[in-house]
Amino acid sequence: MKGYRKYFSKKIVWFILTFIIAFLLNFALPRLMPADPVANIMNKTARGLSDASAVKAMYDNYVKEFGLDQPVIVQFFTYVKNAFRGDFGVSFTQYPRRVNDIISSAILWTIGLQFPAIIVGWILGNVLGALAAYIRKGFDKVLMPLSLFLSCVPAFGMAVILLGIFAVKLKVAPIAGGYGFDLIPNFSWAFIKSIFVHYQLPFWSIVIISIGGQAIGMRSMSIYELNADYVKYSRFLGIKDRKIVGYVFRNAMLPQVTGLALSIGTMVGGALVAEITFSYPGLGTTMLSAVTSSDYPVLSATTLIITIMVLIANFAIDIIYGFIDPRVKAAQFD
Amino acid sequence: MLRGKKLTAILLVLVMVVATVLTGCGKKTTQEETKTTPTQAPAAATTAPTEAPAEAEPETDADPNQLPRTETMYFGGQQWGVINGWNPLGDNNNNAMALSASGSGSRTIMFETLYMYNFLDGKMYPLLADGDYQWNADMTEITVKINPAAKWSDGTPVTAEDVAYTYETGVKIGNNMGNSNKPYIESVTAVDSHTVVIKSTLTEDGKSTNPLMLVNFLGSVYIAQKAWIQTVEARNNNDASAIKADPADDVVYSGPYGPYYDDEQKVVFKRNDAYWGQDASLWGKLPVPKYIAHAIYADNAATEAAFKAGEIDVNQQFIPNIQDLWLKDGLPISTYIDEPPYGICVNIPTAFYNLEKPVLQEVAVRKAIAMAVDYDAINANAMTGQSPTFKQVPRSFMNPTDGEQSMYNHDEVKDLQWVGNDIEGAKKLLDDAGIKDNDGDGWREYNGQKISLVAACPNGWSDWQASMEIVAAAGEKIGIEITTQYPESDPYLTTVTSAHQQDFDIFMMWTDSASPTQPWGRMRYLMSSEFNGIEGNWSGNYGHYSNDRIQELIKLIPTESDPAKVKEYYTEAVKIYLTDVPSFGLMYRPDKFHAVNESVWTGFPEQGDGLNIPPADCTDGYGIAALYNVSLIQ
Repeated sequence: MKGYRKYFSKKIVWFILTFIIAFLLNFALPRLMPADPVANIMNKTARGLSDASAVKAMYDNYVKEFGLDQPVIVQFFTYVKNAFRGDFGVSFTQYPRRVNDIISSAILWTIGLQFPAIIVGWILGNVLGALAAYIRKGFDKVLMPLSLFLSCVPAFGMAVILLGIFAVKLKVAPIAGGYGFDLIPNFSWAFIKSIFVHYQLPFWSIVIISIGGQAIGMRSMSIYELNADYVKYSRFLGIKDRKIVGYVFRNAMLPQVTGLALSIGTMVGGALVAEITFSYPGLGTTMLSAVTSSDYPVLSATTLIITIMVLIANFAIDIIYGFIDPRVKAAQFD
Repeated sequence: MLRGKKLTAILLVLVMVVATVLTGCGKKTTQEETKTTPTQAPAAATTAPTEAPAEAEPETDADPNQLPRTETMYFGGQQWGVINGWNPLGDNNNNAMALSASGSGSRTIMFETLYMYNFLDGKMYPLLADGDYQWNADMTEITVKINPAAKWSDGTPVTAEDVAYTYETGVKIGNNMGNSNKPYIESVTAVDSHTVVIKSTLTEDGKSTNPLMLVNFLGSVYIAQKAWIQTVEARNNNDASAIKADPADDVVYSGPYGPYYDDEQKVVFKRNDAYWGQDASLWGKLPVPKYIAHAIYADNAATEAAFKAGEIDVNQQFIPNIQDLWLKDGLPISTYIDEPPYGICVNIPTAFYNLEKPVLQEVAVRKAIAMAVDYDAINANAMTGQSPTFKQVPRSFMNPTDGEQSMYNHDEVKDLQWVGNDIEGAKKLLDDAGIKDNDGDGWREYNGQKISLVAACPNGWSDWQASMEIVAAAGEKIGIEITTQYPESDPYLTTVTSAHQQDFDIFMMWTDSASPTQPWGRMRYLMSSEFNGIEGNWSGNYGHYSNDRIQELIKLIPTESDPAKVKEYYTEAVKIYLTDVPSFGLMYRPDKFHAVNESVWTGFPEQGDGLNIPPADCTDGYGIAALYNVSLIQ
């Protein structure tokens, strides 16, 4: 138990340190971009003004409203103070909307799309990969090239293909949105069905691609493990195939678990391609426009959420590893 | 509305769980489900929709049939991203359907202006006003009568006090409306409850600073209710920034539609069946669609797909080769004109020269590049024929409408015209100016240095990018190296609007569209040196051109009442523009693209229908008259 405590306290110190550095970078990096954060809103609101002093007054007003007239260090402490209260201020581009409002209205859509897609893609990919390694023969000959092909298809390509085939040509799936264009959210079967139907294409556009990548990784790892000495020895001993496959699967899965945790950690970044192609609501497009228009508060808030989620995911991996791999556990206690 | 969002989120999570469980059962099941499930819950308004008793909380009686297809008109290409608010005093509502004020005709489905501008005939039609406006003898003030029938959504009458207070507040809190009108409007006063007098600021000799801007006010400024403004002022402690940032969920409006539902995917307006405009003095009836809806699409491609699928009825979007939609695809889609250029072009996207660059201070270089550009290729590639050519409409700063074209003498500037792709002429011009390729590397030199220019426009504005590529190709043909750069739009605009910049040498910007101040406004926008040296100049003349005579003409034209004299002045200005070439138009373009899908609604404005309704997306300026004319397709 003492080993555990020492191990985790060491880990926690490292995570806190990483968090502080990431927190600083979340604040600093957006501000290093060579663009004027007030340009976007000025472009929208100052058009048509012909009085120079009025334009200047308007510009200065936004600078003041956004706190950009303060020294950077003051801005930083204001940011820290507000961030700890869970307030990320107003968006520069969607002013007067608050960042919290922007994120809260989009994050559930993002998680709703990404989380099941990541899990389903991961499970299907790993099962198929492990089966390919174990069965070999025809199954592998079909699965391997198919997986390679799928994993090489760029995300936008897959999304556009699915949209083109199912929505535009066959007209069996909707073209855009998270629910029917002619509906208002309400608790009815029509609406639930509409959400479900609109969910399919964005969901599968993510899943199909991740299946390919996961299957390839799992297959390679499994083949490597299947040729390991312990497998041969187990066979000599006459241990049942089922049992051996269990051992193999558990060992081969370790790198896959890391991948899964990191995917879950970064999922808040949004499925940008799916969101754009299917006009699906979510944080991806919000982040993209925040980057292109130097919307510091939105950028800092979203990257902070990603940072925290990645850290939590990493922490979780460390714990899970201890359980699923006795070798890691042993090493941790050294 | 919040409840609706929460409900959506909860349902989404439920679906997420269901989807996970289903997919756990195997991939096939879900795919089959997708194939067998009907795509959309379509029209099918078989059951009568239940009336929403209170507009504030429509979701309480929510029903999937709340937006029956046959009662809803869908719009596209106007609203991008989630709305920020409903505040007619604010500047950044991002609420395109409700709040789009413009000299070329404000969008009046929710908030109303005094008059509606019609760019087809250049006339103002009364909206909140009663009859025509009256100038005083020396054209320093306008008197407007308010229609006694005009009412706010809370049932109280619209008064002259509301007009005056809207303007005063705009000036007081420094919003865009106040700031942009302040230099021209001295005061807006309520003489009695239904009479407003708008007084112009005066020049030193007692003339109106700019009578055109007063007329512009009439068709562009949204009138808000005085009582509501006072409520907003009180709850924000008269703080100007807070007043502008107020989301105004309780706003009172006078237009035919009010807020009904909005989230990150759509914004829906519902007709106010008590709308005052059904009075015989205005429309005599209600607008036909009960709901106006705009889904929020991620980009142009998604909008186009939805338009083709009949999920959008009225679309404001540039669609390349739009004629293919009806000629090849056989879709029930049409434009205002059924042959090129398909719409009414009122805008001239223009390439500005950065005149701070020494080589571009040479008129020969500027004119040579402009002469060498293949405008027919731009029209064919970038606009796919949706623009009149410069052979059809010779270049000036006037848009192609008959009204503006008649404002200058074409014959007098005939010798200065060019139609483009004149490589030999351009080469000769450069050679004659002594700008030659002396070292034999194929590129001309200026002061011993190879001429190398950067042409730029924002990334992703594909028709503009195509134009810049054609400009670059023209440069190569005449021995001037032009490379293209496509930064993101925000950094691009920051650079272009700065007081001095060395990044772009040739860069594209839009110009003003049709409005009561045109073509004067466009002339000023393209050439006025009053904007030079201003940091954050969003007003025009981005290349920082300067010409004393142009400044005089800019002052003279608005106050000149003799049409012959005005024509003389404009002709002189066009002559200077075509001689000095501080910038050059690349194409003509509509202010709003206007295409309709007649799967559900029909009776949209068409050229030659005798209705005189402009193709302004059925919402802008006098274009809103279309909403009273449409009918369901049988």
